Amino acid sequence: MMLNHKLLEVEDLKKYYPVTGGLFYRHLGDIKAVDGVSFYIKEGETLGLVGESGCGKSTLGRTILRLEEPTAGKIIYRRTDIAKLDRKQLRGLRKEIQIIFQDPQSSLDPRMTIGQSIGEALLIHGLKDERKRGQRVNDMLERVGLEAQYALRYPHEFSSGQRQRIGIARALATSPRLIIADEPVSALDVSIQAQILNLMLDLRREFSLAYLFIAHDLSVIRQISQRVAVMYLGKIVELAEAGEIFKDALHPYTEALVSAIPSIRKKKGRTRILLPGTVPSPLNPPSGCRFHTRCHRVMPICPQVEPHLKDMGNGHLVACHLYGV
Amino acid sequence: MKEVILSVKNLKTYFFTKRGVVRAVDGISFDLVKGECLCLVGESGCGKTVTALSILGLIDSPPGRVVGGEIFYDSTDLTKSSAEKLRHIRGKEIAMIFQDAQSALNPVFTIGDQIVEQIKLHLAVSQRGAKERAIGLLKEVGIPSPEEVAGYYPHQLSGGMRQRAMIAMGLSCDPQLLIADEPTTAVDVTIKAQIIDLFQKLKESRRMSLLFITHELGIVSEIGDRIVVMYAGRVAETAPAAELLKNPKHPYTSGLIRCLPDITQEGERLESIPGTVPSLVNPPRGCLFHPRCNRAMAICRKEEPPPVSISRGHTVFCHLY
Amino acid sequence: MTKKRIKRLAGRVGGIKNLILIPLAALWLLTLLLDIFVVEKIFTPLGYLYIAIGILALIYVVWPLYSGRRLVDYYWQRVKKNRLAVGGLAFILFLILLALIGPFFTTDPTAANFEEKNTPPVGFSIEESVYHAETGQFITKATSGTWEHPLGTDNKGRDLLAMLISGAGVSLQVGLLATGIAVALGTLIGVISAYLGGKVDNILMRFTDVMMTFPFFLLLVFIIFIFGPSLAFIVLVIGLTGWTGTARLIRSETLSLRTREFILAAKALGASDGRIVLAHLIPNVVSLIVVIATLSIPGVILAEAALSFIGLGDPSVTSWGMILRAGQQSLDITWWVAVVPGVMLFLTVLAFNFVGDGLRDAFDPRSSV
Repeated sequence: MMLNHKLLEVEDLKKYYPVTGGLFYRHLGDIKAVDGVSFYIKEGETLGLVGESGCGKSTLGRTILRLEEPTAGKIIYRRTDIAKLDRKQLRGLRKEIQIIFQDPQSSLDPRMTIGQSIGEALLIHGLKDERKRGQRVNDMLERVGLEAQYALRYPHEFSSGQRQRIGIARALATSPRLIIADEPVSALDVSIQAQILNLMLDLRREFSLAYLFIAHDLSVIRQISQRVAVMYLGKIVELAEAGEIFKDALHPYTEALVSAIPSIRKKKGRTRILLPGTVPSPLNPPSGCRFHTRCHRVMPICPQVEPHLKDMGNGHLVACHLYGV
Repeated sequence: MKEVILSVKNLKTYFFTKRGVVRAVDGISFDLVKGECLCLVGESGCGKTVTALSILGLIDSPPGRVVGGEIFYDSTDLTKSSAEKLRHIRGKEIAMIFQDAQSALNPVFTIGDQIVEQIKLHLAVSQRGAKERAIGLLKEVGIPSPEEVAGYYPHQLSGGMRQRAMIAMGLSCDPQLLIADEPTTAVDVTIKAQIIDLFQKLKESRRMSLLFITHELGIVSEIGDRIVVMYAGRVAETAPAAELLKNPKHPYTSGLIRCLPDITQEGERLESIPGTVPSLVNPPRGCLFHPRCNRAMAICRKEEPPPVSISRGHTVFCHLY
Repeated sequence: MTKKRIKRLAGRVGGIKNLILIPLAALWLLTLLLDIFVVEKIFTPLGYLYIAIGILALIYVVWPLYSGRRLVDYYWQRVKKNRLAVGGLAFILFLILLALIGPFFTTDPTAANFEEKNTPPVGFSIEESVYHAETGQFITKATSGTWEHPLGTDNKGRDLLAMLISGAGVSLQVGLLATGIAVALGTLIGVISAYLGGKVDNILMRFTDVMMTFPFFLLLVFIIFIFGPSLAFIVLVIGLTGWTGTARLIRSETLSLRTREFILAAKALGASDGRIVLAHLIPNVVSLIVVIATLSIPGVILAEAALSFIGLGDPSVTSWGMILRAGQQSLDITWWVAVVPGVMLFLTVLAFNFVGDGLRDAFDPRSSV
């Protein structure tokens, strides 16, 4: 079992949304949702991707799946650059990389039974035999903790926790290697959240799944990820082992994020770093280091030069002038 | 003897729908002491928002109705007050802030106008006086360049700013009690921190009483003085914040605390509470939590648990004690 | 052909439904062309429309309803709670029954019987001055209604009940057929426009705008002038010019559906565009289509009635508008000739509107029924 192989490697990926305006639809600029992101995920590994709203993490997840077309950069899945594949070739890929969405309500077709929803992937990829498909669907349902007879029911007959399980079953149907989980527990109650996270952990172990786990809740990310990447305004500012990030955050933004978590296990009255202002618009990001406008450790060089990700040793990457360029 | 500013006794609010009677709030009681922050904690559907709306008489009258109990504000029973009196109290004495600032603010009026309108409704001030007051409020909630922002429309502000503007609106008439319904739920982590910080400052500077509704236990530990844990329309446990988190007695409370992912430990599986919240249309007999409780006993199926006092200020509704 | 080969073929054309539709459609077209050019009246023009709509309805309406029984039952439970809708539905069923079975129990609506002209409905009586040839004087003759003509007769002695039943058939046919054509066309254009977007969307929508301003009345007059009045033409013209509203509504619904997450999920699974449109988008617009259709039928029925009223209708069929036309001249004396069809029209329009509203409420996930 070659578990240390790089399953997915993203190189300088960019996704821009052009903004047009004016009478003649002139090109005014670009919303740089993802602006040069690079990272890799190994087989069976979970990479947590954290950031606040507008940082581009959801866009990144969708671009990897080519649900959005990348503007530039490479997406290398098992040695093939999938950014360059055409539609037919892409289809085969869909079996291997799957996605779980945030909102269990709107990610299931309300007019299809959940059996049909889960089985759809199988149908598309060639399993036309109805009986075999049904068997696999029942299999998947039981794996995620639901009864097989539920296959004939419609999404509205389930609770949101159950719907999220159905979404997971659907993603698993084709035995993917990598699942992009786009805020899978953000819309759930705390007790249900725990159930779903446990399920994802169990499935990871059982199927050697790799996850790109996108979330804004740091404590959830901590629970499930082995490595964590922090995104700000379209760029990764820090990437390290999960334990490292929380114990020893290097980038000022990460520091602020970690200190901002309201946690019952933290001491009351400890100093919390409050970031002034709000996230700038991705249409016009600040010059140099994008975070400099809100950074509590800003230096004169920060607005001038953009820092690049630098390896501080043992795989801990950070993009900040505090640690050399 | 601390002064109690709000006293809810055995409140029951039911919704009469075609599917049956939904017992959204089924007999909850708590006291809010002047100057303290009481947190109503519970997951979705436990009745916390309905409680807040019941206090202010904002329950949609068909199909909902306060069917029992009393709500004493400053020795007036709000459940028996006239609509006129309630309108007078709303905004002036008791103000409410909602969860989603985007939908709570009127999109076709500027922030300044909305706050001024609120002020003029309750206080006898001139237009200019109201405007000045509005700007002062915006400054108080930490909005930079308040004169400029007062002329902005809600959609021109970021999420965090909108939240602050809504808080400013709530504070505009110097209420004695502020009810905040999940003000930090729809915002990012860093903004959450800012908002919590703001609430703490306001509580101190204005010596305001705060009824804070949330489902996030982490927030509650930072800002709450006392906590009321709700489940399916009833109270499970009430205690001072530190006590509750250190020494939770009700199985639901301890389950909830154990569910929380924690950044200080690298965990594998989390503990979770199996099952789901029961339907409030025909609630089961006995303790509503018993189907999911890992320490349920025979009596839990039959009788509703009575309140048991664990220590001063710490009450739990559970047959285990 | 073995099962496997059938399945593979079905996969190539986009589903079993299409596999059945294509040969049937080809057969229909062939028959139609033969009819036109080889001049052998196989079916009436109306008959062709029936068959076409019938085939489409069977494959795309009846079949999905059957395979989605559980869902249909869920919605039916919701509709049932609306008494007005149920009442409307009952009335419509009654009307359908009337139109189908009624003709067997009544006399020929076109049979003129001057002896019995101008008799009122049962329970009423009128007096009129009649010239009595024998005595050379005017005498007042009182006629009261008899059970032979329960609803009376018109000025040519035709039985009103028979005419009413015939009219019911006409209204329903025109209503269902013309609406069927308009809605089918509107849905097709709306979905294609929304899904393909860009230039296609632009062109189709501008075309829709033009069609919206199209004077269907003038077109109808023109066609009648050339070909003579015929129910089939009326149905066709209403259908071919009335799809614009539907197209707009379906397009906007499809646009909002397109960005819903389950469509994205289907794409992520590898579904082709065709599959997404047929298996995901269309089933989710169906509820809207049903509501639009139900609420369009009254308009169509009234349009046909209006045309007959002014004399542009098909004289070979008795429609309610035609009866109204006959009755309007002597409204003061033989009032029943105009009132009866008028009331029927009113009730029919009301019934369809109630049902349409009830369906709309039942389908709306936000309304608690």
